[in-house]
Amino acid sequence: MVEYIQSDSLFHKLNPITKLLWTFAVLILNDPIAIFVILFSNLLIASVSGIIKQILPVIKALFIFSFILILCQIFFVNEGKTLFYAIPYFNLGKVTDIGLDMSLVMSFRMVATVSTIPILMMTTPMTDMVVVLVEKLKIPFKYAFMFITALRFIPTFMGEMEQILQAQMSRGYHSDTKNPFKKLIIIIPLAIPLLVSSIKKIEKMAISMEVRGFASGPRSNYRKVSMNTYDYYAISVFIIIIIGSLLFL
Amino acid sequence: MIEINNLSYQYNNGSKVLKNININIKSGEFVAIIGQNGSGKTTLMKHLNGLLKATDGKITVCGMDASKTKTSILASKIGFLFQNPDHQIFCSNVFDEIAFGLKNLEVPRSDIESLVNEAAIKVGIEMYMHTDPFSLSKGQRQRVALASVLAMGTEVLVLDEPTTGQDYSEGLEIMEIVKELNLQGITIIMVTHDMELVALYAKRVIIIKDGTVLEDGPTEEILAKEESLALSCLKPPQIYSLAKKFHKQGFFKDSYTVEDMFDEIICYLEGERDASNG
Repeated sequence: MVEYIQSDSLFHKLNPITKLLWTFAVLILNDPIAIFVILFSNLLIASVSGIIKQILPVIKALFIFSFILILCQIFFVNEGKTLFYAIPYFNLGKVTDIGLDMSLVMSFRMVATVSTIPILMMTTPMTDMVVVLVEKLKIPFKYAFMFITALRFIPTFMGEMEQILQAQMSRGYHSDTKNPFKKLIIIIPLAIPLLVSSIKKIEKMAISMEVRGFASGPRSNYRKVSMNTYDYYAISVFIIIIIGSLLFL
Repeated sequence: MIEINNLSYQYNNGSKVLKNININIKSGEFVAIIGQNGSGKTTLMKHLNGLLKATDGKITVCGMDASKTKTSILASKIGFLFQNPDHQIFCSNVFDEIAFGLKNLEVPRSDIESLVNEAAIKVGIEMYMHTDPFSLSKGQRQRVALASVLAMGTEVLVLDEPTTGQDYSEGLEIMEIVKELNLQGITIIMVTHDMELVALYAKRVIIIKDGTVLEDGPTEEILAKEESLALSCLKPPQIYSLAKKFHKQGFFKDSYTVEDMFDEIICYLEGERDASNG
């Protein structure tokens, strides 16, 4: 999943602020060509940072999701020339050239922009991220803490889920059914133990935080995160690209 | 009953957890598996009901090839009691919880009630049938989990640290139930750190060290091998060490339970008394 992966790459060394700026810069670029360039550059950044093996499955999942997004979008655009019908005989599900263009651009844009987030997560230690969010961006610590805790618990819950699945399988539980209604019911033996154990875990965590003085008043940060020359280079590159795209595209 | 031949297992990342394991367990045995954390005990157990599939070697459980049979099919023969009962409890009353396994095995509705009741009586929770399992104590929840496994009519019962998180008496209660089950012919395989339990209940001990079998033999014999135990950061129960010290001085046999030692001391003292009286 999206856990921090230790490495010495240039991208790892960048200040979290720079990387946050990067994810926003990607959002601004709107042109279809720019979107493909971004997608390519994301892959490039991932491979330079040594996280390409972990990022590829995420991008694959995003593409599946983007395909669903296309399906949701494509039939609702009426403008433009009709290309074909999804169900030709009844003239149902009209697909126009504008509709196709729009939904393709939209879904690729989603993949290009969203894939920057796991790259950000995998190359930035969460503690650094919090320092930046709280000190530089003035986000209240409670919210920043909530954010990183939610992320931190994903792998924990996945481990827990595995154990629950094994415990139920040992009682003859099997999840291989084709009936979609049964599939919903079949989740219950996994979902309830997971819910119960998560609540217990979170309660324990809340207590252990409170006894260590969480939210008792102003707090200090042990870690210092500063900008270095690479950050200034990177930010200048973002600015040049954005201004360039605004002027020429 | 259980035959493990040259079993090896490695994780996807290449680290070998089990190396060339050979174990043969006969029907009706009571086996304790001991070893350090991370030595591979639980990994080995998970091969018995097909939760993990061997990378190499063969494992036969009740005549079925465990690495080729589905866990849900093996489940009717081999029951697992995990460390944490909360990983499986999800029903709103104890009856449904115990019946879960039976429903999975597609046992006819008419048989379920009697099988559930039977299992509940075996573990002594028949009075809680309509109680919400989450309102029970940890020890009682563990017994609910045990009943739900027993109801399926298992021939082998695997216990993964069955007494952790419970107080001493709750732990002993579970173990007494397990002992009774063993007397009824169920094969017991118990993974544990508690050497007291090993000395009290197990007939055979297997020490797993770094994914290999370090020792395998009758309990008395293995508990005498202090060097092997020390290699796994284990110590024989205190009473055993004491008996051994006496034995070195020429007193007592190598006895290993409190009762044995008590009997020997009484025997010796009675002899003394008779001698002084006579």
